Amino acid sequence: MKCFGAVCFVASVAALLAACTNDPYPNANAHDRVLYLSYPIAPKTLDPAVAYSVYDQQVTGNVFDTLLEYHYLERPYRLIPALAEAVPHPRLEADGRVTYRFTLRPGVLFQDDDCFSLDGSGQRSRPVTAADVAFGLARVADPDVASPVIDTFNRLDGFREFSQRLRARRAADPAFAARRIDRQYADAGGIAGVRALSDTDLEVVLREPYPQILYWFAMAFTTPVPWEAVAFYTGRDGRDNFADHPVGTGPFRLQHYERRRRIVLERNPSWYGTLHPEWHAPGTVYPSSGAPGDAAAGLVASDLAGRPLPFLDRVELWRDPESVPAYMKFMQGYYDQSTIIRESFDRTVQHGLLAADIAARGLQLGKTTLATVYYLGFNMDDAVVGAAAGDRGRALRQSMSLAIDADQFLRLFTNGRGLAAQSPLPPDIFGYDPAYRNPYRTVDLVRAAERLRAAGYPDGIDPATGRPLHLTLDVNDTAARSLLMFQFFRDSWKRLGLDVEITATDYNAFQDKMRTGAYQIFWWGWGADYPDPENFLFLLYGPMGRTRSGGPNNANFADPAYDGLFTRMRVRENDAERAALIAEMRAILERECPWIAVYHSEDYTLSQSWLHHVKPSALTLPTAKYLAVDPGERDRLRQAWNPPIRWPAYALLALAAAFSAPALHRAWREGRQ
Amino acid sequence: MIAYLLRRVVFGAATVLGVLLLLFVLFFLVATPDDIARKAVGEKALPEALAQWKVTHGYDKPRVWNPARPTDTMLAEHLRRMLTFDFGRSDADDTPIRERLRTGVGPSLALTVPLFVVGVTLAIAVALLTAFLHDSYLDRSALVLSVVIMSVSILLYIVGGQYVVGKVLRWFPISGFDPSPLVIARFLALPILVGVVAHLGQDVRFYRTLFLEERGRDYVRTAAAKGCSPAQTMRRHVLRNAMIPILTDVVIEIPFLFTGSILLESFFGIPGLGTITVDAINANDFATLRVMVYIGSLFFIVGQIATDIGYTLVDPRVRLE
Repeated sequence: MKCFGAVCFVASVAALLAACTNDPYPNANAHDRVLYLSYPIAPKTLDPAVAYSVYDQQVTGNVFDTLLEYHYLERPYRLIPALAEAVPHPRLEADGRVTYRFTLRPGVLFQDDDCFSLDGSGQRSRPVTAADVAFGLARVADPDVASPVIDTFNRLDGFREFSQRLRARRAADPAFAARRIDRQYADAGGIAGVRALSDTDLEVVLREPYPQILYWFAMAFTTPVPWEAVAFYTGRDGRDNFADHPVGTGPFRLQHYERRRRIVLERNPSWYGTLHPEWHAPGTVYPSSGAPGDAAAGLVASDLAGRPLPFLDRVELWRDPESVPAYMKFMQGYYDQSTIIRESFDRTVQHGLLAADIAARGLQLGKTTLATVYYLGFNMDDAVVGAAAGDRGRALRQSMSLAIDADQFLRLFTNGRGLAAQSPLPPDIFGYDPAYRNPYRTVDLVRAAERLRAAGYPDGIDPATGRPLHLTLDVNDTAARSLLMFQFFRDSWKRLGLDVEITATDYNAFQDKMRTGAYQIFWWGWGADYPDPENFLFLLYGPMGRTRSGGPNNANFADPAYDGLFTRMRVRENDAERAALIAEMRAILERECPWIAVYHSEDYTLSQSWLHHVKPSALTLPTAKYLAVDPGERDRLRQAWNPPIRWPAYALLALAAAFSAPALHRAWREGRQ
Repeated sequence: MIAYLLRRVVFGAATVLGVLLLLFVLFFLVATPDDIARKAVGEKALPEALAQWKVTHGYDKPRVWNPARPTDTMLAEHLRRMLTFDFGRSDADDTPIRERLRTGVGPSLALTVPLFVVGVTLAIAVALLTAFLHDSYLDRSALVLSVVIMSVSILLYIVGGQYVVGKVLRWFPISGFDPSPLVIARFLALPILVGVVAHLGQDVRFYRTLFLEERGRDYVRTAAAKGCSPAQTMRRHVLRNAMIPILTDVVIEIPFLFTGSILLESFFGIPGLGTITVDAINANDFATLRVMVYIGSLFFIVGQIATDIGYTLVDPRVRLE
C-alpha cells in the first residue's frame, strides 16, 4: 500500500512536470501574425488630447490617425499627408496671421463602435469630417480636459479666448455645463482660428508664423475625435471612460484593455487604407524610398514598395514592470523586440556589435541616436558663472567645459550608449553638422587652466577668499547611482582646482529652485517633440527664460544676437539660409557657453530574426503598421529554444528521498512504539 | 467579551484616524500638489495646465486651514473620502479607485491564498517532523537550511527563481498572468514556489520552537506514561496545543492576503493590489496610495481583533474581558 502511495506521488510529479512549459501565451495561435511587445509602465490615458507618455502613445499612435505623419524611412524626417490629401502651405495674411488649409480625404470612416448609435439610428460608424478635427482641437482647449499641450496651441487664433469662455460659461450656468459636450463647444463659439469650411476642408489660423505647427498635426493631439465617443463614454451607467475607450480611424483598434496586464490592438477593418487601396495614400502603403543604407538593410525593396499596410493582424502588449524578466522572456523568443538591459549590455554588445552567440540566434541590433540632449547648464543670472560676470564668467564657463570628458562619461555611466554632444542639436535634425567640433567640447586641461587664469581664478583659487572657488551643481536626482554620475563632474572640475558642491534634491525642490533662480550650475535633459531645430534651440531663447517667464530656457540665457537669429530661423523652411542661421547661433553658443552639452542618448534595440522592416526612430512614432512577422519561423525557434529540462526535478526528489529516508524510517518506527 | 471588542474597535478606529493624519502629513511633506500635478499632466506641461489639473482634482484648496470655509480644505476632503469609503478617482489616470480595487483583488488573492495555505501547511509539517526527530541529523540539517534560507533576501529568490526555473529549466513562464482557470496555475506556480521557499525558513524555525516547547511539558510525559505512541502524542496533543501561538502568527496575516504581495506581483507581472500600490508610489498618485494604506491599516486592526477572537475559540482558558 505504501509502495502504491509512493508510486502515485512520483507519477503525479512526473505528470506535472510533463505538463510544464514556459510559454506565457497559452491561448495563442502560433500562426497568427501578431507582434508581441512588453511595457513596464501602464498607460495613464488613451485620451488623444492628453496622452503624452511613450506608453500612452504606444496605443494612441496606432489607434488614432493624424492629418499628417512622418515618412517611415527617410531621414531627416519628412512630413507626408495621411488623413489630409496634402501637406498644406502657409498663407501669410496682411495682419500677420498665418492660415493653413487642410483638405481631408473624403470617405474616411471612424472604427465601428457602439457610440455611433447614440441617436438610436443603429449605425456603427460614420465618415470623418473637418468638424471632427475642430472638435478634437476644442477638447485640447477645454480646461476640464487638462491637456498638457495647451501652450503650444495657444498660438491658434481664438484658442485661449475659447478656453476662457468655456470656463466662464460653465461656472456661471450649471445648465450649460450639463449640455452635450459638442453643444457646449458650439454655444461657446468654438475656436475662432479653427474653421470647418466643409466636410473636407479645414482652415487653421495662427496669430503669428509658427511653421512647426505642422508637426503637431502628426501627433494624436490633433486627431479627429467623434463627439459621440466623448458624449457616450462618460464612465457612467456602466460605460467606459473615453480615456479608456479610444475611437479612432487608425490602422489598429483597441480590442482588449487591461492596462496593468495586457493590451491588444487588432487590425481595423474600416481603416481607409483597407477600404480604399486604390487611393495608394502615402501612409497606407509601404514606402518605395528611404534613407541611405536602407536598401542594403532590406528596408527598401521593389517587392515591398507599394504593398498595402498593415502587415500585422494584432499587436499584443504585455506588462512586465521589471526589466530583467522582460529581457529574459525576449531571449526565450516570447517578445519580438526589447531594449538591452544594463546588466546584460556588456555581454550582448561588444565593440558596437552583437556578441557572437547573440548574433548566432539571428537577433538584429538597431541603433539610433535619439532626439535628446543632456547638458550641464549655467544660470546666466548668477553673479559668478553668469552674464553679470562678463568676460570672467565666460572664461570660467569655457574652462569648465574643457574639463568634461563626455566620451569617458558615456563609457562609465551609459554603457557607451550615447553620442558626445557638440551643440544642442542631435543627428537627424536639420542643422546638425557631423563635421562640427566645438573647440570647448574637447578635453584640454592646459587650455582649461589658461581660461581659468583669464577668468581671474588661477589654479581655481578665488582671490577674494584665497581658497578654491566654490560653486554648486544642482541636480534633481538623489539616487546613489546618479550621485556617482554627478561626482564625475565634480571630480572633473576638481582637476582644475575648483570646489564644486553637489546639491541633490528631489524633482520638486529642484523645480522650486529653478523658479526662484536659486542655482548656479544644473544638470538637465530634453527630449524633442518634433524633429525641428527650433525644438532644441528654443531652450536658449531669451524671452523663454525660466526664472523670468517660467519658460524652458533653464539657463536664463539672454543674448540679443541669438534671439534675433532664433526668431528668423524659427519661421524659415529648411533651406541653406536656415542652415546658415543655425551655424551663427551655434557660434554664439560656442563662445558664450551657457551650456556644456554632454551627450545625445542612443537607443539600442534588439529585434528577433522573424521581425521584419524594423527602422529605429529618434522620436516616439507609431510604426506597428510597417512591421511584419514570420509566425512560422517564430514558432519553430521558440520550440527549439524552450524545451523544458526535467531531470533536475527527479534528481532533487531522489536526493531528498535518499537523504531523509533513514530519519523518516526511524520516525515511522518510533511513532508506532 | 462584547465590551472588550467594542473597546478594541474604538482603539482601532483611533489608530486608523492617526494613520490617515500621518499619511496626509508624510505625503505632502514629500510631494506638493504641484508635484502631483506635474507627474499626472507631464513634465513638459506648463503652469497653466498644472493649475487647471489642480482645480479639477481639488488640490487647489488650502491644505489644512481655511478660515472662510473650514470644511473646504484638502485635509477635510481626505478624511471625508476615507471615512465614507468614497475613494474617488486616481490622480494618475483618473480611473475610479473602487474599480481598481475590484480588478486588483482577484489576482492578489489568486497569488496570496495558495501561497499562504501551502506555505503554512508545509512549514507546520516540516516543523512537526523536525521536532519529532529532535536532534537527529535531519533536524539539524533542517535547522541549518532554515537559517540559510532566512539569511537570503527575497529579491534573490525571485530573480534566482526566474533565472533557474523559468530561464534555465523552462518549467514555468518567467512572468505574466492569465486569470483563465485552465492556465492560471502555469503563471502562479513559480511565484508561489518562490514565496513558499522564501518564508519557509523563519516559519519552520518558529513553529519547531513552539513544538519543542510543548513537547517538554508535563502532559506529554503523562500521555506517554499512559501508553500514547509518540506519533499520537505529537498529533493529538503537541500539535493542538502549539496551534495557539501559531494561530496568532497566522490569523494576523490573513487580512493582508487581500492587499497582495508587492515584490512578487511586481516581478512576476501580476496585476494585483501590490502592483497598484507600487504604481501609485511611482506616479505620486496620492489618491490611490492613501486608499491602499487606509485599507492596509483597516485590515491590520481587523486581523488583531480576529486573532483575539480566535484565541477564545482554540483555547478555552482564554476569556476576553
